Amino acid sequence: MTMTMGEDNSIEAEGLVREFKNGPRAVDGIDLRVEPGEIYGFLGPNGAGKSTTVLMLTTLLPPTAGRASVGGFDVVEQGPEVRSVIGAALQEAALDPHLTAREHMRLQTALQGLPHDERKSRGDELIDRVGLSEAADRKVGGYSGGMKRRLDLALALVHRPRVLFLDEPTTGLDPQSRTSLWDEVSGLAAEQGVTVFLTTQYLEEADQLADRVGIINDGRIVAEGTPAELKSEIGRPSVEISTRDEARREEAAALLSRFGSPIPTGRGAVEVRLDHGIDDLGGIVREFDAAGIELASLVLNEPTLDDVFLAKTGRHLEGEGAEEAGEGES
Amino acid sequence: MNGPYLSAALGVCWRYLHNLYTRPSMFIPSLVFPLFFLAAFAGGLSVVGDAPNFGYYDFTAFQFCFILIQASTLAGVFAGFSIASDFEQGMGRRMMMATAHRSSIVLGYTLGAAARLAVTWTVVTGAALLGGMEVAGGGLDLAGIYSIALLSNIAALLFAAGIALRFRSIQAGPLMQLPVFIILFLAPVYVPQELLTGWIEPTASVNPITALLNAARSLMAGEPTGVLTAFVVVLGMIALMAVWALSGMRKAETAG
Repeated sequence: MTMTMGEDNSIEAEGLVREFKNGPRAVDGIDLRVEPGEIYGFLGPNGAGKSTTVLMLTTLLPPTAGRASVGGFDVVEQGPEVRSVIGAALQEAALDPHLTAREHMRLQTALQGLPHDERKSRGDELIDRVGLSEAADRKVGGYSGGMKRRLDLALALVHRPRVLFLDEPTTGLDPQSRTSLWDEVSGLAAEQGVTVFLTTQYLEEADQLADRVGIINDGRIVAEGTPAELKSEIGRPSVEISTRDEARREEAAALLSRFGSPIPTGRGAVEVRLDHGIDDLGGIVREFDAAGIELASLVLNEPTLDDVFLAKTGRHLEGEGAEEAGEGES
Repeated sequence: MNGPYLSAALGVCWRYLHNLYTRPSMFIPSLVFPLFFLAAFAGGLSVVGDAPNFGYYDFTAFQFCFILIQASTLAGVFAGFSIASDFEQGMGRRMMMATAHRSSIVLGYTLGAAARLAVTWTVVTGAALLGGMEVAGGGLDLAGIYSIALLSNIAALLFAAGIALRFRSIQAGPLMQLPVFIILFLAPVYVPQELLTGWIEPTASVNPITALLNAARSLMAGEPTGVLTAFVVVLGMIALMAVWALSGMRKAETAG
């Protein structure tokens, strides 16, 4: 499917609120606009309100207040129209373990009301596209997590949706399956003009896949922009060094502080946010060389979305510390 | 009812029947249940038919009418279990997401519950005939009996669907099954209504199942009485339970 003129593939929300009985406001006044054909990454920790937002946008949960439209249709007043233009793969792949992939396709094409003569070919096409042809006649109960996710994605595409919602689609997947799914999602947006609303708690996923990112925390969007814009808001990279001779650590810290402001680090190293960015790197190496301080390591840390998250919320994204520690090393 | 609406309902129906008939653990108990009652009531209690003033031509036929309505009604309840299970395990959400008009989901289960009766009826009727049941009524009378059974199945399914969609958990199973079970057994199960005494007599007289049972038994005997009343009662139950089921769907939509 390619997007045709006049089709509104956008997602809009104004003051969207969802309040549960005797509970907190899971979503607390969200405003957002996702442009047609855009991949919008909705990034936040567990319990931030990502999935609740998706449930409202996909007409599975009515908002308590505010309004939202998807594909030009109001999610409260025009639920059937919204559902006809969207596809969704929600957090828990809702699959029947007693059906095969092909039988799932049969069910989904019927639920979506596809013409009879198109159902089998469409199902086979999608099964092939997500690489499940060989397993198509096996019961889904025996599938791996990655296979289930791929089938869930294929099912979401049955009726050629204009807007696709993916709620943490790669959670629990191995790196290979994750990359494969990213490729598929990128292709849908780039080649077919599908608008993608993707929730994730993986910084790398939002960074690589999303055209724009909204960071949600405690039900509110705390930052929004392209990954590059968000990182540049935080500013300059930092450099982290450790000395071979532990006794010269203080001397190294003093020397390094000439290049920027110190950042607390708990790893037996010293780190500064560079005043002049990456341009300072050469000077640092020369200074240490001249002072005769041997370095055990020198790491350049580019700002990450986790830094953005930290700056906006005062805490790191859950479970991302290890993943981010390796990023930006040079 | 447009094409996509019916298509969605048939999709739900297909999956329900597919899972039912490919999983003996789901299917066999629902057949054993009525067969057990048939053997216990029509066989073990056959001497009841010799009671003074019993006034019915064949005790097996007398019991068969109850077993048929009971099996049909419980088949509707069992379909309600499937709805609850589907919503508990996420398939309900898939269906809610994919169908433009969600009442098609309820229609799909209704069609599935009705379709499963074909096997149940064949087995129960076959067993009753093998057990020596005499059929006094004609073809039209039998059509009347099976129509009453079908409509009671639909009413029970809609009742169970209303519960299932409100609770969205298989733990609500007893809430679906118990009321139906109780109302069935508060009808004149073992003896004609005229022979009931004590508290059961006035209870049975206001029990809607009594009207269905009496009509079915009269049709089986080839002497139809109260048939129109029975159809009015069961259609009224369906109308009431349809409202209950669809309001349950609204609850499920609100809960997310």
